[in-house]
Amino acid sequence: MHQNRTIPKKISRRWYNIFFTRLLPAVFLIVITGMAISCQKSQDTTFLKIGLPEEPRSLNIWLGTDINSRNILSQIYQPLFLRHPKTLEIIPWLAKEEPVFDEAALTYTIHLRKAKWSDGSDFTSEDVLFTKQLFFDFKIPRYYSKWKIIEKLEAPDAHTVVFHLKEPSAIFMSRVMTAPMVSKKEWGPVAKNALTKEKPLRILQDFQVEKPLGTGPFILHEYEKGAYIHMTKNPYFFGEGKNIAGFDLGPYVDNLLFNIYGTTDVAILALKKGDIDYYWWDIQPGYIQDLEENADIDLHFNKKSALYYLGFNLRRPPFDDKILRQAVATVVDKQFILNRILQDYGTPMDSIIPSGNHFWHNPDVRKYGAGMDEKQRITAARDMLKSAGYSWKVPPVKDDGTLTTPSDILLPSGEKMEKFVILTPPADYDPKRAFAGTMIQEWLRKLGLPAFARPMSFNSLLETVKGNHDFDAFVLGYGKLNLDPDYLGAFFSSDNDRPNGWNMSGYTNEAFDTLAAEQRLVVDVEKRRQMIYKMQEMLLEDVPYYPLYNPHIIEATVNKRFEGWVEKVNGIGNIWSLCVVKPIK
Amino acid sequence: MKKSSYILVKLVEVAFIFFVILTVLFFLFRLSPGDPISKMVDPMLTPEDMAHLIEQMGLDRPLWEQYIIYVKNFFTGNFGFSFHYGEQVSTIILDKLKWTILLFTTSTVLAAFVGVFLGKIAAWRKGSSLDNVMSISALVCYTLFIPWFALLLLWILGFKLGLFPLGGVLTPSLWVGNASLFIRILDVLHHLMLPLLTLFIINLGSYLLLMRSSMLSVLREDYIITARAKGLSEKVIRNKHAAQNAALPVITSVGLSLAFSINGGALTEQIFTWPGIGKELIFAVSNNDYPLAQACFLLIALVVLVANLIVDLLYAWLDPRITY
Repeated sequence: MHQNRTIPKKISRRWYNIFFTRLLPAVFLIVITGMAISCQKSQDTTFLKIGLPEEPRSLNIWLGTDINSRNILSQIYQPLFLRHPKTLEIIPWLAKEEPVFDEAALTYTIHLRKAKWSDGSDFTSEDVLFTKQLFFDFKIPRYYSKWKIIEKLEAPDAHTVVFHLKEPSAIFMSRVMTAPMVSKKEWGPVAKNALTKEKPLRILQDFQVEKPLGTGPFILHEYEKGAYIHMTKNPYFFGEGKNIAGFDLGPYVDNLLFNIYGTTDVAILALKKGDIDYYWWDIQPGYIQDLEENADIDLHFNKKSALYYLGFNLRRPPFDDKILRQAVATVVDKQFILNRILQDYGTPMDSIIPSGNHFWHNPDVRKYGAGMDEKQRITAARDMLKSAGYSWKVPPVKDDGTLTTPSDILLPSGEKMEKFVILTPPADYDPKRAFAGTMIQEWLRKLGLPAFARPMSFNSLLETVKGNHDFDAFVLGYGKLNLDPDYLGAFFSSDNDRPNGWNMSGYTNEAFDTLAAEQRLVVDVEKRRQMIYKMQEMLLEDVPYYPLYNPHIIEATVNKRFEGWVEKVNGIGNIWSLCVVKPIK
Repeated sequence: MKKSSYILVKLVEVAFIFFVILTVLFFLFRLSPGDPISKMVDPMLTPEDMAHLIEQMGLDRPLWEQYIIYVKNFFTGNFGFSFHYGEQVSTIILDKLKWTILLFTTSTVLAAFVGVFLGKIAAWRKGSSLDNVMSISALVCYTLFIPWFALLLLWILGFKLGLFPLGGVLTPSLWVGNASLFIRILDVLHHLMLPLLTLFIINLGSYLLLMRSSMLSVLREDYIITARAKGLSEKVIRNKHAAQNAALPVITSVGLSLAFSINGGALTEQIFTWPGIGKELIFAVSNNDYPLAQACFLLIALVVLVANLIVDLLYAWLDPRITY
């Protein structure tokens, strides 16, 4: 009935007119202008363009503790000492030279460089004193707990500071001296005001920093929230023109422009298009083949100071039994995880300290299932359990040595082992850990253990494992461990076995506790290394955590405009790179 | 009931529902797993540090005390500071809201206009090839998976053809220079086009189908036959008699869509790196940033409630059969 009706010509003509005379030319103008802008921007070599995966949390150094804020702020606020990118030794940075340690008086005397803040004012010992006072007055998280070993701090002159310690400290150089220094001029009034308030730390952290005052190679020029961060070269940078740690420092680029990309897919397209020169984030192995085919892109593979592991709850059965944990460690096929889950971009971990941290890493810890195939691993684990009193209705290995489907494993007490759960983060949070958990479940079932891998939202997982301790086993990781091995004490000392403490497994070993406490007081590095080695041996014998893998950090840069990236543990995104990267002429 | 009494009753209803939402939101966030600190997997952070941070956030106080402070703060217009950004929640929301409105509200309005117009034509020419093409295309648009479609458009139009930028709201290297205001506006529009196109295509389908189906049912009504018998022109029958009546369910849908458009869309924002409120909302919830998450949800609740009220009133105005 309605088929004969047509659209009135007047209406359609009006819409056509609007479309062709207004809308289409407007869209055309926008596209052409935009394209012209795009062509113009890619020629500019005074800007080093860096992609970030997320916006920095804050440019207030006391709140901006996330990785993106750190990436920006580490170009501004500088510590007295820094790690050498290759040797990983602690070297003077804002300090002029190595500290003078008086063992009898327990003092470190440090001479400061004649450096300036980015507003041209002098960096002096007053600023060091102020920074220390700030840590103490506000009990600033992450810093106060390390700095409280300082009994007194003196400033004999404008460029000398003397640290008086309460006791000898192994972590003084690595954890105290690497804290960022802030300017009294910038933070003094803020701190004074905050201290008069009920919640001083919140006031300090919520202070909006417009132009952070630093001593680093770059200063913040402009921050357009939700869009970009523009940093320019600091004209007062103390390192410019100097050779430090074998590097002739610049910076050689006038501007850093940070752009945010919501997904890695889009960031990769931006790299390929030349919109950015470097994407400051770990790229997943799935992108490698595509990037390797692009001649304009260089890939950088570096070791990570990371630990991904299987953790056990030692507070309750079944994993309160060391032999069971060792048997589980024996059946886990780390090579499979490396090949299939990490696609060979990583290393299997033997010790709790990653191998990239070569000074502290002990390569001679006990290794489980090394060089064995599946049958050998299951047989070895079966033997371990059998000798500890475990039994099966149907054992995993037949008398003729062939594998079979086991059933009903019985504990040494004769009771049937209850099913247990391996908690993992969900696959959308970290597919590697989720998949590793599933694989471990399968290997354990081949041994007859009633294992069930269960992905759980990250918040709930942490609350269950760290807060409530209501779990059997879990797969978790630390993506960026400090290079000082002091964290061994935090992870495994029995005094950290408490709700929200880092000893999530509930590991208790008196000998370990003694070593962990003693090593903190040992200033002799070689002697401390032997103690740390011993601690690693203990951990791999008792297996509260079983280290699984350490993925490589994979990063990509465009090679047409800039060169000279500094490769180090944790990647090329570091202050050294930004101080030495040069435009290609 | 008088019009003014009806509005008053409705306003009281809205206020009550809003207060319930205010309360439910508070307890929902506090009872969800974790707290703003627990997600920080940083061995440098000692349990003492964590306790200190919790105390500074006021989360160590009893729940009822926190609730009273929360309600008091709300009624004094103080939404507090975001735990995550350390910035005033109102500033963060206003900052993001402008971009959300620019993209999501614009795309909803555009899609609604075009969808209603095309839906009217499709219904009027029911069974024709034009109707078939429009209906099938609308169904395809309606069922498109946003991330896939957005990435596809980005890859073809942004990367391969280079017609549009690969996300963001502006070209940083242009803005750090001395570009004129006109160029800057063009730049923002250039960045807006691809996400707008994506959302427009996705939203268009639903409005077109809704209008088509509503119009088809109206065209079967007796008063359309009466109008035709009266000798009214086809244009008058279609636009005045059919389309106006058919628009009623569409108005409800558009009204609510407009309200929900301030919610943004996390996936679209993520892919196009659009600094809208949707991504922020998801982030605030997953990171237990209570002040920010609460304020975002309250804003959405308020806008939806008000939009609902307006649609109710509009309905009564548009349809004489509905009385207060």
